[in-house]
Amino acid sequence: MILQNNNIKGAINMKRNIFKKITAMAVVSILTVGSYSGVFSSAANAATALKGKIVITGSTALLPLSLQAAKEFKKLNPGVSIAAAGLSSVAGPEAVQKGSAQIGACDWNATTNVPDFKAFSGLYANAVAVTPFTTIVNKNVTKTSLTTQQLQGIFTGKYKNWNQVGGQNHAIVVINRAFGSGTRVNYQTKALKGTKIVKSSSNYKEVSSSGLMFTAVSTTPYSIGYIDLVYVKAGVKAVSYNGVAPTTANVINKKYPIWAYGYYMTKGKPTGVTKAFITYVQSAKFQQGSLKALKFIPLSSIK
Amino acid sequence: MKKSNLKLINTTLKVRQSNKSFNVNKFRRNFSNILFKYFCLLSSSILFITLFSIIFFIGKTGILVFKDVPLQTFLFSTNWTPEEHHFGAAAIIIGTFVLTGMTLLIATPISLAIAVFLSEIAPNWLKRIMRPMIDLLVGIPSVVYGYLGMTVLIPFIRRITGVDMGDGILAAALVLSLMVIPTITRISDDSLTVLPNEYREASYALGSTRLQMIWKVILPGAKDGIVTAIILGMARAIGETMAVVMVIGNVAQLPITLITPTSVLTSNIVMQIMNVQSDSTWHNALYMMAFLLLLISFILIACIRLIRNKGEQTI
Repeated sequence: MILQNNNIKGAINMKRNIFKKITAMAVVSILTVGSYSGVFSSAANAATALKGKIVITGSTALLPLSLQAAKEFKKLNPGVSIAAAGLSSVAGPEAVQKGSAQIGACDWNATTNVPDFKAFSGLYANAVAVTPFTTIVNKNVTKTSLTTQQLQGIFTGKYKNWNQVGGQNHAIVVINRAFGSGTRVNYQTKALKGTKIVKSSSNYKEVSSSGLMFTAVSTTPYSIGYIDLVYVKAGVKAVSYNGVAPTTANVINKKYPIWAYGYYMTKGKPTGVTKAFITYVQSAKFQQGSLKALKFIPLSSIK
Repeated sequence: MKKSNLKLINTTLKVRQSNKSFNVNKFRRNFSNILFKYFCLLSSSILFITLFSIIFFIGKTGILVFKDVPLQTFLFSTNWTPEEHHFGAAAIIIGTFVLTGMTLLIATPISLAIAVFLSEIAPNWLKRIMRPMIDLLVGIPSVVYGYLGMTVLIPFIRRITGVDMGDGILAAALVLSLMVIPTITRISDDSLTVLPNEYREASYALGSTRLQMIWKVILPGAKDGIVTAIILGMARAIGETMAVVMVIGNVAQLPITLITPTSVLTSNIVMQIMNVQSDSTWHNALYMMAFLLLLISFILIACIRLIRNKGEQTI
């Protein structure tokens, strides 16, 4: 009886000890992390005095670029805190206009009218990158090149069969991005020359993101869609535009016209920390380094 | 037995030891009691405040749509082309009801069969394997179901039916069925299992077969629980977004056939809400759709309550 009692007490004690150990460990780890970050910030504070807060929101296409730039910029200027989030292209300029963000990433120049979106007043467009887009088709489609007029016909529902554009005899399946997508706005402006995409033909559907566009086109035979060039990989075929292959080289030598600038929209001309950040993103070091690594095209390549 | 006795002795010893500092302890106990009470109160009030502000906010924004679009047009027109200022949500609302109906049509018989199997037929060792497995199915994220639907189910439908697309109510209903079957099964299973064994014994004693016992005694006996299960499954089907948006096709047109690409309230909202300017009629119309969804869920929950209350009265 006494022995058992002792055992139980022992077990309770052990439990207490474990708790103590866990608490101690947690405290130690918090202290270590704290002191480390303290060391880092104090060391870097000496280097520069730039201080402030930047909120970036908007286009998901530009988000990887914003995140990478924010990481590098914070390393150089620890006094600056940057929060970047991806919502949608139109959300960027809107947030800037309302004042809830300093930078609104947008896939088009929000100070101009584009199909279905009116210009935003009082904003300033800072081009930061070049994004190429391309038409894609399922692997089983035999056509390798389409003209502007053929694409317009397909996306307005005038051509319903691949044989109407010189392909095999089978109905065309049109896969489209949702209204308001930056990719859609740019594709409509640059590839379809502003022609409206017509919905509700029987072989038509919409997807909500570039990733889903890729999945849909790669799994749907006889389908056609469009996507950022960086998303093209095995499973879909990128189609030439008026005979010109969609490659980075062709964008740079101006043969391939379906590309657009990605913009950082600011309220008026950027000032202070925001200006410093945008200057960093536009700098040759970032453009030729990280931006290229993320498969965007540097601004300086387009002349 | 012995162990619990020991615990009792241990605690009484501790109480005696702590008698010296009784006043302090009493204060501490009172204090923690009060603290706990206020914590509970705070938690529930936070929930209620959040809930009511959501309803208020969505309703307030949604109602603005009727400044630009008459109520009849919004509810009864099937022309949803917001970029040309046509805000008829009827096709989308009908799509929601058809999809939910189809889902329940597929899911309910299968779920009930599984529930009956689990509670009446399966041997105990199988029950112990199957029940946790069904619980696990509830926890699978809907995006996984959606992705599988898009890459496996839709090509399959395309092959069977010979159409070019395959997106539509059929694909969405099949994916949703898979998602609600675990919910309906587990709740029905529980309500079948709690039925007193005397029911079963009595019906066997009267000479009924097992099938007769299940059909005539067990299922009617667990009716309230089963209806609750179906309504909960329905609520899940109506509110599901991610899986649906990947297989429905997202075209705002009437679901003329089960394989016509179409749209439901949830998928339409999630496709468009990010991409519209926040002071536009379109934005308000999407909020109105969200409000309609809330309203439908509210009605469903009210139904559950009514059925439960009736059940309590009969017992």
